[in-house]
Amino acid sequence: MKDGVLIISLSGKVIGGPDLMNVKTAFQNAVNQDIDSVLLDLGKVSWMDSSGLGIIVSGHTTLSRAGGALKILNATKKINELLIITKLSTIFETFSDETEALASFGE
Amino acid sequence: MRGIQIQLPSEFAVLEPLQIFIEGLGAAAGVEEDELSSLSVSVIELVKNGMEHGNGSDPGKMVTISVDSFDSRIRFFIDDEGTWAPENAPGFRPGEGEELLSTRGRGVLIARNLARWVEYGLTPEGKTRVTLIWPLN
Repeated sequence: MKDGVLIISLSGKVIGGPDLMNVKTAFQNAVNQDIDSVLLDLGKVSWMDSSGLGIIVSGHTTLSRAGGALKILNATKKINELLIITKLSTIFETFSDETEALASFGE
Repeated sequence: MRGIQIQLPSEFAVLEPLQIFIEGLGAAAGVEEDELSSLSVSVIELVKNGMEHGNGSDPGKMVTISVDSFDSRIRFFIDDEGTWAPENAPGFRPGEGEELLSTRGRGVLIARNLARWVEYGLTPEGKTRVTLIWPLN
């Protein structure tokens, strides 16, 4: 936690399968603990496809319903490309600077 | 590189080895390093669709990938054992409004945008075949 924001970091390959359920559970656990601001750090993700996008959308929905927000930190060039192709870039705020990202939750 | 064919059961465990295999194959065919992950994402999106929509995620049903490399392009045939209608699959079109926030779909949309040449058709046996052509510079 930093400044009231939960930072969740993903790393490696986000390729689908049961591991992604853990991420989905982490979003729900945050809401259950009255944490509604989550910053998802994707800087160490080496590979991601639509399964990863699905989990990000799931987190967005979970947190939005709780009155909060999910924002993205350090999306790689390839992940940004996927966000643009799927128009999810119009939904998510993305940041390359953690301080700036954390401050944005208070705006 | 001609006539490479692999068969995979419809289970997620095969996807990571497949990603490594596709990128190795792409590198050998001359795909630029920066584009290798886009190639593997495209192929895997289509393979996952075949596993899920074509084969009903039945591990006993196979997805067959056939690869041929030509001077300026690589051709992938991705065949499943089903007869699904890809035009009805989520993600065949860009989402709008609430559809944009679906947690599923997007695979064909992504593959089409990354590879630019993705077409659905039938195998000689009448099962679903998707053709992906990847241009080589």
